[in-house]
Amino acid sequence: MSTLSYKKLDAYSTSGDLPDKMSVFQKCLQEFNASPINAKKCRQLLAMLLRLIYNGQAFPSQESTTLFFSISKLFQHKDESLRQLVYLTTKELAATSQDILMVTASIMKDIQQGDMIYKPNAIRTLSKILDATTVSASERLLKNAIVDKNPIISSSALISSYHLLPIAKDVVKRLTNETLETIQSTKYFPPNQYQLHDYYATNNTNLPSTSFMYQYHALGLIYHLRKHDKMALMKLITSLSENNSSSLKNSLAVIQLIRYINRILADDEGMINVLYPILSSFLKHKSDMVELEACKTLIGYQHLLKDDQFMQIIGTLQKLSSVPRTATRFAAIRLINRIAFKHPEKIMVVSTELEDLIEDSNRSISTLAITTLLKTMGAGSIESSSGVDGGENVDRLIAKMTSLMDEITEDFKIVIIEAIENLALKFPSKYKRLVKFLNDLLRDDGTLELKTSIVGALFDLLKFLPDAEAKELILMNMCEFIEDCEFTELTVRILFTLGEEGPLTSKPSYYIRHIYNRLVLENAIIRSAAVVSLSKFAIQCGGEVSDNIRILLTRCLNDSDDEVRDRAALAVKFLDSKQKKLLVADTQFDLGALERKLTNYLNDEANFNVQFDISEIPIITKEELKSLEYQKKINRLDQPVHETVSDEEIGDNNNKKNKSTESGENSDSATNELLKQQEYANELSTIPEIAEYGILTKSSSTPIYLTEKENEFVVNVVKHWFIDSGKLVLQYNITNTLPRSVLEDITVIVQSDNESYVEEFVIPLDKLGPDQTGTVYVSFSIPSITEEDSDILCAFGNTVAYTNKDIVDDDGTVDSEGWSDEYQIDDLEVEAGDFITPLYNSNFTSVFDQLPNAVTSVVAVSNCRTIENAVTKLKTILNMMPLDGSDFVSSDTKNHQLRLLGKDTWGGKVASQIRLAETGGKVVAKFEVRSETSNLGTYILNGSF
Amino acid sequence: MGQSFSGIFNRLWGVNKEIRILILGLDGAGKTTILYRLQLGTVVTTKPTIGFNVETLKYNNLTLNIWDLGGQTSIRPYWRCYYNNTAGIIFVVDSTDRERMDVACQELHTMLKEEELQESALLVFANKQDQPKAMTAAEVSKVLDLTELKDRSWSIVASSAIKGEGLTEGLDWLMDVIKDEQLQ
Repeated sequence: MSTLSYKKLDAYSTSGDLPDKMSVFQKCLQEFNASPINAKKCRQLLAMLLRLIYNGQAFPSQESTTLFFSISKLFQHKDESLRQLVYLTTKELAATSQDILMVTASIMKDIQQGDMIYKPNAIRTLSKILDATTVSASERLLKNAIVDKNPIISSSALISSYHLLPIAKDVVKRLTNETLETIQSTKYFPPNQYQLHDYYATNNTNLPSTSFMYQYHALGLIYHLRKHDKMALMKLITSLSENNSSSLKNSLAVIQLIRYINRILADDEGMINVLYPILSSFLKHKSDMVELEACKTLIGYQHLLKDDQFMQIIGTLQKLSSVPRTATRFAAIRLINRIAFKHPEKIMVVSTELEDLIEDSNRSISTLAITTLLKTMGAGSIESSSGVDGGENVDRLIAKMTSLMDEITEDFKIVIIEAIENLALKFPSKYKRLVKFLNDLLRDDGTLELKTSIVGALFDLLKFLPDAEAKELILMNMCEFIEDCEFTELTVRILFTLGEEGPLTSKPSYYIRHIYNRLVLENAIIRSAAVVSLSKFAIQCGGEVSDNIRILLTRCLNDSDDEVRDRAALAVKFLDSKQKKLLVADTQFDLGALERKLTNYLNDEANFNVQFDISEIPIITKEELKSLEYQKKINRLDQPVHETVSDEEIGDNNNKKNKSTESGENSDSATNELLKQQEYANELSTIPEIAEYGILTKSSSTPIYLTEKENEFVVNVVKHWFIDSGKLVLQYNITNTLPRSVLEDITVIVQSDNESYVEEFVIPLDKLGPDQTGTVYVSFSIPSITEEDSDILCAFGNTVAYTNKDIVDDDGTVDSEGWSDEYQIDDLEVEAGDFITPLYNSNFTSVFDQLPNAVTSVVAVSNCRTIENAVTKLKTILNMMPLDGSDFVSSDTKNHQLRLLGKDTWGGKVASQIRLAETGGKVVAKFEVRSETSNLGTYILNGSF
Repeated sequence: MGQSFSGIFNRLWGVNKEIRILILGLDGAGKTTILYRLQLGTVVTTKPTIGFNVETLKYNNLTLNIWDLGGQTSIRPYWRCYYNNTAGIIFVVDSTDRERMDVACQELHTMLKEEELQESALLVFANKQDQPKAMTAAEVSKVLDLTELKDRSWSIVASSAIKGEGLTEGLDWLMDVIKDEQLQ
């Protein structure tokens, strides 16, 4: 980055130009080499040098080295401030100059017996100049500095050790005891009250002695030393939180502790029983940051908490939402909002506070309050069947929102619109008022962006609301809107949607009139869209309507614009020849796959000899497209903030990479599922044996881990189904995490417990070095579902067999002698869900009633304490889509009905209606499964719950 | 007025001027021990010096700036970064280390060839005389080819840093030479 742009970005950059780099360089050499040294002049020069470096002016290696040596000569002077500046500069130059080891002895001497003023600087500089060969010499120094009574020295030693971790883990490990001692100690600076005045005169507010920051630093270091040892970590946590008021005084340290607890819980949710008391004790703390962090962590595990425990969190948040500090209020309302995603009924108790917050002067807070309240209303509606006045609540809130809408900026309006859409999707019964609100908003003035988001929301409601009445209401409103719409893009979109949905409504002529108006009044782009829209009405409505539209379209043949004329001519032609399919499409290509195929095709000219084969692109029916969109929508609305705990894995890059890809997978799973499928298909088709199997029907979307993620070998598996040719290919991804071993001839021995699954071949892996990942394929032939008495469910026992060879030296030479070994990994199960993909339909009941092959059964869902857990479990095992908002479980109910719909791999629909009841900590489920494919229902019921 | 007089006076006698002295030699010769024996008057336990130690001390009304540079093979190349402005060199030899005498000799003569050190006086300490089988100063002088040196004031003194013998004699000689040179 050039200096100029750097300066522009830096809001704090001081006015005035930077001194000239070369002249500073020359002056430095001159002064630093002088004898005797003029301390004052040298200080000024060093400050100038630092300013240059901090502004991004780097010195090339050779100049930097020259500077470094001349600066090292300043060690002869005893001036403390000069020495501090020498350290600051050396620290900066350490990155660019050679031979920085030359100052080691001098620094070590300062750390041992230097003045307290520059000791911390010396320690910090030391960590920059040490390398793996010299670090052991500093061990004793660091030990002494960590336990130093002065908190600042202690802090700097801890941080330096932390920075030394990547180059000398063993040495830093030996500092564990000192670090532990420091966490629990109490250090003051200045050491006693009488000295206070020496340092700070009478002005003794905001003293550094009150910070206890070294505890935070010590905790960070000890965590990195112990993070792989769960027992030790637990011991640390319990010992530090025993009497939380006394041992950890620094609130940042407490927050860090809470985060570490969070990480333990993320690995093993079962620890919640041990850790909950600790976390709940932090709910009442003198620092609001700590309280917030504790709330945040607990909310992440809300499904494991009992009701009264939950109320405690809410109580804390309630208190925090009315403190004067804006940031705290905002954080509290955000957390409340997060609870509302899952359990809106639980925060009903704070609704008065929330309503007060709508009037908050901070708009971010008021907007969040509104979106949160919108969610609680949804929960209210569930109880409204028993006579609670949910409706009034909605009216009141909408009134409040309407008044607020005039005051807030558009960004906030868009957020609120999204929240309204979300509510309407999840709780369709509330749509009327919300649609009205959206329509009113649409009529007000606004930019394109705002209007687009409103129209987008209305479109989604149109697609996913089951009620025909709702659809017509929305369509009519849109017709009105385009009568007076200044945005061509929006009008075109609405016209398209009218063409899609309008013909299916009760009175298409209403819409036709509006569309025709466009044809008369608007510009060419809109006119051509209107022509297409009209033709759709004509082909679908038939009869008189069709004839009338044909007349309208014929008139368009005289339009002044080419495009309009062309489209009209085409439409008339198709209408006359009754080519319905050409006007209204039931299916479309998978656009993602199509794009990729086309790019591949165009990238290599050699391809041009062969025609592009469009039949390879999967075709998606409208229904499937809708399910995908719905899933995407719900996912997006449910997880607006995907919080990832940034895990600074020092020297553990590999791990980090894995993590980031994982989180990437989570965030856009629904969108990319098809793309990924395509990727697998491409990969598999490169293997000749598997390519013979033909088209890949389905792959399991996320790899299933068969080992712990920190084992010697990490194995995950993906199931690939080739239903047409009756094959199953298991793709075992094996990662070797042993740093000093090479694995050879790796294969997986798979034993199935179902005789119908017959192993055909194994494609083994030749060699796997440290930290490498490779793939073993195992292929099976599978039974057909249509045969009687066959069983498609199966469990596989897996063992990895390999030859282990040690790496004998640092060059990576491998010992020629190896030994063969086997490694048992977890079993893999074939579940009913493997044969099903989620499917969306807005009218579950009618689909359910039409399906043949009904099976019913009552089973107990194992390992589930609450209905909510059971719903999540069933959803994932069966891999079906919950409909009518039936995956939302109010926490206090004992009965629930779950409606799931899916499409099986043989192309038939499958629907299940499951009644769940909770008694005495057990969940019992009554299944009613209907499917197009016979036998499938039985397998669903046979699946292990 | 009085101040400026004393300033001139001091400058005449070189009191206010710092005299830069380097202590060089192979690793383990006893350079750091000599430095602190001179400064603190006691024997300190030392570790191999990675880099350098620098101390200022008053000696007979003179301000000495003594640089003790590490003697390990890896650090020797950097000696030259500190040659500038050097009034005197103290070269320390481990008198018991007969095997590495030729290395010491080679390093000494390479160093003395440097342009920046042409005016500097050379004092050699034949150190570790307290040890049995130590070579005498004369023997060391011969092995190091000191007699070959032309145009340079040099002297060799048998010393023992542990016992504190020979150090002041050597330093006295060095101060005399430096004072003479500066008065000229």
